[in-house]
Amino acid sequence: MSGSYAKPTTPAEIAAQSAQISDDAYRALEDIVGAANVSRDPAVLDGYAFQWLAELVRPDQSHYMPRPAAAVLPATTEEVQAVVRLANKYRLKVKPHGTGWYHWSAPLKDEDPTLQLDMRRMGAIVEIDEKNMFAVVEPYVIAAQLQAELIKRGLNLNIPGVGCSSSIVASACAYHGAGPDTYYMGGNSENVLGMEWVTPEGEIVRTGSLGSGDGWFCSEGPGPSVRGICRGTLGSRGGLGVYTKCAVKLAPSFGPTEWEVGGTLPAYRLPIADTQRVYTLAVPDWDAWAEIYYRIYDNEIGYIFHRQFNLAGADLGPAFWLMYNDHTKTLSDVPALVADPEVAALTEELRISFQLILAGRSKDDIELQDKILDAILEEVGGWKVARFCAPDMAEFTNMYLQRLGHKHINFVWAGGYIGSWMQFGTPDWVKGYVPTAIDGLARDAKGGLLVQCGGDAMMGSGSGIPLGGATGLEQFVSYDPDDVDSTKAGILHMEDAIKDAAGIQYPPGKEFLYLQIGWTDEEVWDALAHAKQPQVFHYQRKIKQAFDPNNVGDRMYPTLPEGWAEKK
Amino acid sequence: MALTDYRADAMRCTRCSYCKWIPFDLVKSHRFSKGCPSIEANSFHSYSAGGRLVTALSLMDGRSEVTDAVVDIAFKCQLCGNCDVACKLCRYDMEPILALRELRAHLVEMDRVPDSYRSLIERTRAGLAGEGKTPAERNAWSAGLGLKDAAAEKVDVVFFAGCKYSLEESLRETVRTQVRVLQASGLSVGFVPESGCCGGLAANMGYRDEAAQAGTRTFEQWAAAGVTTVVTPCADCRHIFKRGSAALGETPEILHTVELVDRLIKDGRLELTTPVPMTVTYHDPCNLGRQGEPYIPWEGVETKIYGQAVIYDPPRPRHNGAQGVYDAPRDVLTAIPGLELVEMERSREAAWCCGAGGACREAFPEYSAATAAERVEEAASTGAGALVSACSRCELNFAEAVAAQAAAGRPGAALQVHDVLELVWRALGNGGEAS
Repeated sequence: MSGSYAKPTTPAEIAAQSAQISDDAYRALEDIVGAANVSRDPAVLDGYAFQWLAELVRPDQSHYMPRPAAAVLPATTEEVQAVVRLANKYRLKVKPHGTGWYHWSAPLKDEDPTLQLDMRRMGAIVEIDEKNMFAVVEPYVIAAQLQAELIKRGLNLNIPGVGCSSSIVASACAYHGAGPDTYYMGGNSENVLGMEWVTPEGEIVRTGSLGSGDGWFCSEGPGPSVRGICRGTLGSRGGLGVYTKCAVKLAPSFGPTEWEVGGTLPAYRLPIADTQRVYTLAVPDWDAWAEIYYRIYDNEIGYIFHRQFNLAGADLGPAFWLMYNDHTKTLSDVPALVADPEVAALTEELRISFQLILAGRSKDDIELQDKILDAILEEVGGWKVARFCAPDMAEFTNMYLQRLGHKHINFVWAGGYIGSWMQFGTPDWVKGYVPTAIDGLARDAKGGLLVQCGGDAMMGSGSGIPLGGATGLEQFVSYDPDDVDSTKAGILHMEDAIKDAAGIQYPPGKEFLYLQIGWTDEEVWDALAHAKQPQVFHYQRKIKQAFDPNNVGDRMYPTLPEGWAEKK
Repeated sequence: MALTDYRADAMRCTRCSYCKWIPFDLVKSHRFSKGCPSIEANSFHSYSAGGRLVTALSLMDGRSEVTDAVVDIAFKCQLCGNCDVACKLCRYDMEPILALRELRAHLVEMDRVPDSYRSLIERTRAGLAGEGKTPAERNAWSAGLGLKDAAAEKVDVVFFAGCKYSLEESLRETVRTQVRVLQASGLSVGFVPESGCCGGLAANMGYRDEAAQAGTRTFEQWAAAGVTTVVTPCADCRHIFKRGSAALGETPEILHTVELVDRLIKDGRLELTTPVPMTVTYHDPCNLGRQGEPYIPWEGVETKIYGQAVIYDPPRPRHNGAQGVYDAPRDVLTAIPGLELVEMERSREAAWCCGAGGACREAFPEYSAATAAERVEEAASTGAGALVSACSRCELNFAEAVAAQAAAGRPGAALQVHDVLELVWRALGNGGEAS
């Protein structure tokens, strides 16, 4: 049974639906970036229209967001500025992206002629200031690149949950950036120290201490402190100008300054230094889960703290990871592993588990952290999962979580995944929604249109703020984007998750962000009006009016029309 | 297969862009983190594996037509396979390289190919001999080597030089040295004088019928001669023969010369005693490394478990680059006394392409040269005095790139370019200047 997407169309029909750019404007773009760096060929443009999650929000579950009017590859801040000014002149929209992963990095409306700015020609690491522990990067620098340079210097950076394949500027300036490292290093939205921002009108603004000519050391001054303006509630996600550089705060790495990566593709392994420990820990129930999180926070142990491997599902995850570590095996081997009594026992042992990497400044330090962890485990009734703490799996875990270079495994079961839930709060608060989230996925997958991997496919940072205090768990829901019925089941699950959350007095989670992309403006405004603090969006409207009078940015920088909340 | 057979691959692509980079766990620097020559040269997303899948999907969906841009997108790619390795870090349901080859074949059927292809394929059709030379001209490289006619007498191994080694003057001594090394082990080495092209170039261009004809003809020649072992110094020839033999069933054993020499050294039939005091770095040819792994053809259907998890019936073999020929050339090099092997940051499955593959040397020489220059700069960054490889096309491209770097005053100008077996020959006591 497979739902078909077959929907005949013609190039002319698609072109007629897509907003176009005038020849004059196009020639002007060529003058700015060079003819080789701008295109309006339909096949090139569809490379930008095609986006993950589009099928969840677009008519007929199309995989294409609206086709840009042109794709543009600027190489300098000055070129970005010129393109943005041109957009103002010709009343075009501007949508920049770094590596371009998510439906909202594409144009949002068919009727809006949009310039897709692909920032990949701006990929320099501008500076690494070891003494003051910050790095300055352009938009196409990904976390893997910067981390590779930092490790040599005994430094490290927070790599957000999206993984090391993504732009640092994107997470620091324009979205949210929590991940396994955030517990120790802080999130990228906090770690951003200054930005070079091309405003929607084409002004170049340098924020924080950079704006006063004092370098990149502080986000809030001396100099213009507009971090809150630019970022808004969640980051502007391409909706309010273009960030062309940013500085991010760094952290010490503690481990070796050269990584001797071993193992066999795809399960590479990173040896564990004698000042490091890599553990997969488990607890008997969710009360103990919350308790151990608090105790880890309170005792300030740990370097990387994440619930990672459950993304493959509590029922299938252990078998999956064992399969993944054997390069000769495929998903076809998973059922036999699941049926293996030893793996079945391991599956139960790992059911409520997470990963913790300790890093010490010295052997004494790491031994102390170890003792503290042992005491905590004894107090909460937890344990180290021997199979996953064995050298092979521990080195794999170390590699996985230090680099976060396998995040695309989110899609491993069927090619499509959506994250639901992920409401962020104290462990006790998160614990409060876990049973509902587990039951909800089990219920929605029952019909076989979503991957049945166990109701608990929940993953998330040990803490989304430095030194602990708040966490969140995202339910990994796998669907087949090549099957329209499965895709629709994914949508249904997201709608169900919102209802399920409301049923236990929780706000909507991550699915709410995804679904909004397909809504009308009025539907979005209604939703914003019911947010906990709708005044934020009125404030953001004033910011938008001030910085973007020609409406060059799209609604990813969310605003509420004046009086909208009152009307509703 | 047809392009539509890869529709699911495109629909399940999530635009993660892994295909643009080397496997992230192997990234050691900002400078050498990129994996895809095509996107580096052309920038638009369409010039990545993911982008090409979308290009194909857009054609299949009737959203766009074949324009000159589409032709450029489809063919300006070395088919080096980095994207395939990187994609399969996390995916079991996608075959990027096979899909790209299918897109090319689809465009060939429409006769929408780069102009330079037409003369290349016409020559292949006319003579089935790669670059159109007669067998006598092709065999001039072997004069005086004492190679036996494998069709006339039994030999231990049949040597298949391939078009580049047969025809390029600059590679003449290299290929002759290969034979001498094998002969030095005591093996009787022969060749089939009527041999033509392996069909690799036609296959890379998307001309499947012509490629199949070339392969079939060669396998028939070997069968008629009762050949049991074929050895080739060309990674591309080995690749196409391995794929061909996998489909045909019982055929001669196909080996690259470095594989055979590795065996001969380990069996004690070649003793490397003369020091070769050089520091070298080894370039993994794409078709010997990540695309040189054992190949098992697969036919079957997609099915699902656990509701929607995608698997295949029968199970689809995993070709992800994990089992390429990486160790044999390194073992040979490290067996040479006095030689120090230093690795480039991008090595083994993460090797940057030499630029010559995928018919790009023929169709897009500037792009091909720029790709080679990038590799030469990486080799220079290791401090090695020589860049060593095991493929005619790599060596040709690198030699030209080094000359171009020298002319431009860029890094790598002083690098020597060698085949692995040239250094083995020296270690057998046959001279040659050491760097």
